Formats: sequence, structure tokens, C-alpha cells
Amino acid sequence: MGRVDAVDKVAGRALYTADVVLPQVCHAVLVRGTEPRAGILNIDSQEARAMPGVLGVFTASDFPARLFGRRVRDVPTLARGQVRFIGERVAAVVAETREQAERAAARVQVDYEPMEAVIDAERAMNPGAPAVHDSPWEYPGAVVAPGSHNLQAAVEHGSAGAAESALAGAAHLVDAVYTTPSGHQGYIEPQAVLADVDADGRIHVWMANKSPYALRAQLATGLELDPSGIEVHPVAVGGDFGGKGSPMDAPLCIELARALGRPVKVVLRYGEDLVAANPRHPARIRVRLGCDSEGRLLGLAVDSLLDGGAYAGFKPIPTVVPHGVEEPGQSYRIPAVYTLSRVAYTNTVPRGHMRAPGGPQAVFAFESALDELAARAGLTPLEIRRRNLLRSGQPDPYGVTRLEARGLETLEAAMASYVPLPAPAGTRHGMGVALYDRATPSGGTSLRLLPLEDGAIQVDVPFPEQGSGVHTVVREGLARELGLAVDRIRIHQVSTAELPHDDGVGGSRVTASMSNAIGRAAAAWRKRDDDGPVLVVTERTEAPAISSYCVQVVQVAVDPETGQVRVLEVLSAVDVAEVINPRAHQMQLEGGAAMGYGFACLEDLQVSEGQVWAASLSEFRLPAAADVPRFRTVLLPGARGVGVLNVKPAGELTNVTTAAAVANAVAAAVGVRVRDLPITAERVFSGLGQQAPS
Amino acid sequence: VRLELYLNGDLVEAEIAPDTLLLDFVRGLGLTGTKEGCGVGVCGACTVLIGSRPVSSCIQLAACADGAEVWTVEGLAEREPALARAFVEEEALQCGICTPGQLVAAGAYLRQDLPADEESIREYMSGNLCRCTGYGTIVAAVRRTLGGSV
Repeated sequence: MGRVDAVDKVAGRALYTADVVLPQVCHAVLVRGTEPRAGILNIDSQEARAMPGVLGVFTASDFPARLFGRRVRDVPTLARGQVRFIGERVAAVVAETREQAERAAARVQVDYEPMEAVIDAERAMNPGAPAVHDSPWEYPGAVVAPGSHNLQAAVEHGSAGAAESALAGAAHLVDAVYTTPSGHQGYIEPQAVLADVDADGRIHVWMANKSPYALRAQLATGLELDPSGIEVHPVAVGGDFGGKGSPMDAPLCIELARALGRPVKVVLRYGEDLVAANPRHPARIRVRLGCDSEGRLLGLAVDSLLDGGAYAGFKPIPTVVPHGVEEPGQSYRIPAVYTLSRVAYTNTVPRGHMRAPGGPQAVFAFESALDELAARAGLTPLEIRRRNLLRSGQPDPYGVTRLEARGLETLEAAMASYVPLPAPAGTRHGMGVALYDRATPSGGTSLRLLPLEDGAIQVDVPFPEQGSGVHTVVREGLARELGLAVDRIRIHQVSTAELPHDDGVGGSRVTASMSNAIGRAAAAWRKRDDDGPVLVVTERTEAPAISSYCVQVVQVAVDPETGQVRVLEVLSAVDVAEVINPRAHQMQLEGGAAMGYGFACLEDLQVSEGQVWAASLSEFRLPAAADVPRFRTVLLPGARGVGVLNVKPAGELTNVTTAAAVANAVAAAVGVRVRDLPITAERVFSGLGQQAPS
Repeated sequence: VRLELYLNGDLVEAEIAPDTLLLDFVRGLGLTGTKEGCGVGVCGACTVLIGSRPVSSCIQLAACADGAEVWTVEGLAEREPALARAFVEEEALQCGICTPGQLVAAGAYLRQDLPADEESIREYMSGNLCRCTGYGTIVAAVRRTLGGSV
């Protein structure tokens, strides 16, 4: 049967937020700040108001002072008194058409009084640097202590003393700093929202957002409303990758709809999305890693500093840290660890989540350092991993014991499939390896099953299909559990008014969460004693730690004259339990590897002087069909999975390891260690120039 | 200005502002299968055919299509059922936002008597970005339609 969503999407019938049209809808365009930090002295909208089609120009003083966010609520509806990054919302122009609103927005005059800005994270940590926010600990949901300086969050793990003494006794030691740039999620559908307020004051929202129930809660909290007063309607979501989980422009859109008594739509131009949405955190990660004379890891100390930009409100998890950076080296036995992860406030675009948040940054640093340490210890990259990977039953350095630890098996499966490819004449071949695994919790959701006239079952689901294949998983899983043909199951996404709750997609948990819910739903359906609907609600579980391992083996050809790197192949070995839809699973893995390749070699928003310079997709380059390397996948079956479907997470694996594997392959090819992403010809060339002539 | 064109095979006449983009023109007629992505002619989400030529409708004035035959995904999916079927059967999509553009670009490829090998398809399809799939299934769908082995 294939995918639930395929036929409509191929015919151009699937409705995304920008495609939804309501009677009387009008369009809002934002006037954005042009200074990294400045006082707003005056906003002159007189000329704009007189332009054709303009219905109004709105500034912060037109609305109550409210704050929004996913965890920390520090994001204003519109900038109030001060702009904190280039691109911040300063005013909104609403007109009959988007083009009219854009023309008028260009005529809004804002007078600024520039203030000293903090444009990078290291400087922000300097006690003498100006404070981006006066007292950020007072924001609702803040996780920092009073008196902290430019911190969004800081998390420690392990013991500094133990790590220091272990490192002091190490036979071999690496101490190196790795950096990764800011990157955009690269969803092709820009951020978009449509809001309407009905005659009863009830708010209706259509939004490019992956988690309708979380969005409703975020809006209700910020607007001080009961969630039942807000209804989030189903739409297709044109790519997420972590970037579509915040309220973004919804609070503003709702205020505008209230003020005008008409539906209002905000659809960003892609350039705005690159400059002013919520791209990935750039990171500076210092890794100190030591081993004994046999190559056994003894100690690890990691200091990670991430640039969180002007607002913390785009991160959902309780620590307010992209959690992948918190626990580097988690796949290995390391007796003594200490990690400090800090996220700084700066006067740059606020940063949010992107596919395995924090993971690509931390794994690039750790897996690069591990190769550097192997070289010092006289071991191959494979051997140092074989000697130190966790075995089942052993706790990781952070105290988590996985149900199974299959890193070694996955590594051997990858190497068993490895076949060296010929490198073009004049280039040097290199092979690099990197590994990742992360324990993933499953979330709660709700499903309703209704019998249809023709004997089929309609399944109401609370979550959108953002591309991961979740609707298809529900259909195939329920069909399997109930012994029905898949065409007897019809998936129907409903609004937030229809079902009690959903934790949303994200954290690779969706298939695993569904596995629990489908089991419960199938059981309830079989036991039902009338022809009414069956509703099941599941809660977030603290299940045993299930992790999926990914080992990538990358082959590169490096031109020693120019430093140009060609990635010949990305071989991904992934440990799996059951695979519900092999094609969808494969696509998640290959799409992840393509994104990993972009992170490794191409993508950089080029943030400097507080400004995103790669402000269009011709400058922020995403990999195209002819750019991506050859992908090969090896599945290592037989793992223990979650729930009735016996599945494991897949969505956030293959994008995490690629950069380290490419860096390690480049080092193997030409002896140049690139510690700063992306791995460009210039960086490799510069490294070649520093080598002693042979 | 006055505009007359054949849209998905039907004659359409309209009075439009001279700076109307072809993208906004077709979307304004309810043909919202054509998507706005990058807005600068790079991502291909807005691809339509003018005659047999794929163009980025986000950087094309509607007036320039006067007298032409324009195909959007809605018409092309019907005109090229084998291609549409191949996209469905190869599951050559995930979030789907780039899919209309991919289908239209692939439709142009089919009519151009170009080689059916993987490298040629990848080269031709490189004006259509996809962030989800890694491209393997999209290339497979095109090859399948061309009768190549997948």
C-alpha cells in the first residue's frame, strides 16, 4: 500500500499552512530589526499606513506585554523598547495582500540607538561583557540562578576532580578544541501560521508546527487562556528537523487577528527564515581525553559552549541545553568523566533544535578526538573503539545501563561490508569511522478508532505527518495487530479539540511511542463490546533505555594539491529490531546521511558581526541530488525494541556521525586534522600547507 | 496586463498586474500544489513547465508565459500517470513539500529524450532540493518511469 500520504502529495493536493485560505484572510509582513542590539527610539508608520491595501501597522505597544517559549518564556510578541538581534520582529504590517504588506513594510521608519552588542558566545561569558537580558533568571521557566551572566543554561555531569586525576595519570592525552557553525534545518517550507478568532473568542490556528498539542499549551500559557479556547487544526508540515516546534509567529498572528477581527496569515520568505527563525546552535567544544598505554580510556573532560542567541525560548527540554552535548562519549566505558555544557545568550539569531539536537556537534568533537588519541596510542581507529565500546550490562559514564549495548556488533557489521572504492587519479583515498548511540524515551499520545459503514476502521490521530512516516506506521501497525489488510485502516488527523493529548513528534520517539499506543488500541478494539468508538490514551513512559547504534564508514578522495574533498561513500550500519516499513526506514537513514554530509562539508549560515550572511538558499547550500555521496546501509537485525511492534528509533542517527567520519577519513587520507566545520577545500588546503615538506 | 495561456490544457484568460509572479498567479487560481520555497530560483519547489521547459515560477513573471502552455503538478500528475504512480510506489517523498516540483522536473526529463542512467538523472534533478529523502527514491522513481532498472 505504501505511504498514507503519498497520493495526495504527488497530486499536489496535500494542504500546507500557506495553502489554507479563509474568507476575508489578510496578510502580515514583519518589519525586522537591523541592529544586533539597539534601543527603539521611534517607529514612524505614517507613510506605510497610507499605502494601498494596508489595514494597520502594529508595534509592541499595541498589545499586552506577553512572553512565549517552549520551556523558558523569554520571547516577546514584538520587540519592546529594544532589539536584541538582527532580524527581530519590530513591527507588523497587515494588508489585503502579502505584496501590499511587503511594500508598506519597507516604508516603516525605525529609529534606533545602537548599544554595545555581544555577538559571540565566548565574549558573552566574559564578566565585563554587556548583559543581553537584564535579569534572565526572572523569565518564567528560567533554569539559571540569579546573578548568572548571559547564561541560558549550564549543566554539569560527573566529577571534575575524578576526571582531572584520571587525565593526569593517562599515558596518552588529547586536548583539542572543535567548532561547528550555525546551520539551518533546511526544511523547504518556510515558517507559516494562519490565525482566526471566531465570534465566541475561540482561537483557531493552522501552523507549520510538528506538535499541535504542545503548541496549544505554549500559546495558552503565554496568552493566559485555558487550552480549550485554542484549536490547532490539521495541516501537512513541509519538513521539520527540529525547527518547527516553537510558537514562532503564532502569538503575533493571534494578536493581529484579534485586533482586526479577520483571519491573518504570516508566511515567511525563505531569507527571513534563514536570518530570523531558530537555526542550530554553533558550538565550541574542548575535549580532553586520556587513555592508558593499552589504549583503554581513563578520563574525559569536555567543556561545551553553545551560542543560544538572543532568546532561550526555542529549546523544549527541561535543562534548556541541546541535550546531545551533555553526554559525549556515552557509547564507551570511561571510568572518570566531567562535562560542562553552557548555552550563552548573545545578540544573534535565537537558536533552536535541529535533528538530534547537540548530537552532531558533540559527536564530531568526541569521535574526532578519539581518532586523534588512537594515533597517539599507536592504535587504529577501529582498535581503540573495539577496546572501549560498552558491552551489554555495563553502565555508561553517565550511569545509564542500556537494555542492550550492540556497538561492537554494529561496528563489525559495518566493517564486514566495507569495500574500498577507487579514488580518482591524483587524489588520496581515506577511510574514517564514527559511532553514535543514544537512549530514547517514548512519549504519550492518544488514538481513537471508529468503525466505518464499510467495515473499515477510521483512526483519528493527533499528530501531523511531518515526513517521518508516522501516519503510515499507525496504519501498518494496527493492520498487523488486528490482522486486517492495510486498506481497511484509514488514518485521519484531527484538530486539538478532538483528542485528549499528544506529546508530539521529536526525539526520534514517534515510532516507539506509536508502538505502545497501537498495542493498547488493538487490545481495546478486540475487547470492545459495542460498535462505538474506542479511545486510548498513553502516557510518557520511563521505559528501559533502548538505544539504536549507528556506525558510519566514510570514504573520501582528497586532492593533495587543492585540498578538495570528495566523499565517495557513506556506509551506515544501524542496529534494528523490527522494521515496519523498510522503504520509509531506509529513507530516514539516507536522508539523515545526506543531512550529515551537508553538516560535514557544506552548510554554514556564516554568522559574523551579529548577522547571518548566508541569507538565501543560493548562499546557504543544501546538498542536491548530484552532490550527495553514495549511500549504503547495513542493518543489523535482532535487537530488542519497544512495545508491541518491537521497534527502535531511526530518525536521528545517520546525521549525527557523518562529520566526524569525514574528518577522520580526511586525516587518514592526507594527515590533515580539520577541527572546524564545515570541512572545506580551503581548510584542508591550509592544513596541507602547514605540513612539513616530505 | 492581459494574459492568455493554456494552463494544464485549459485556456485561461486574466487581467493581472505586470509584476505578478507566475507562482502567485497559479496559486491564486487555487492551484496550490506549486509551492514557494526559497523564492530565489534555487530549491525547485515552485517548478512548473512552460511548454516542455521546467522553470522556477517564483522568479518568472506570469506575463512572460503569455500564449504559452503551462503545466503545474495538478495537470502533470494526470498527464503523466506512470510517473505519478512511480513516485507513489517508490515512496519517493516524505514531508512532500518538494514533491510537486520534483514531479514536474521529472516530467520534463521524460519528454527530453535524455539518457536514463542514474548520473544523468541526478544531474538534471539537482535543481530540485529535498531535505528528507536523500534523493535515492526520487531517482528510482524517475528511472522506473523511464523503464530503467531500479
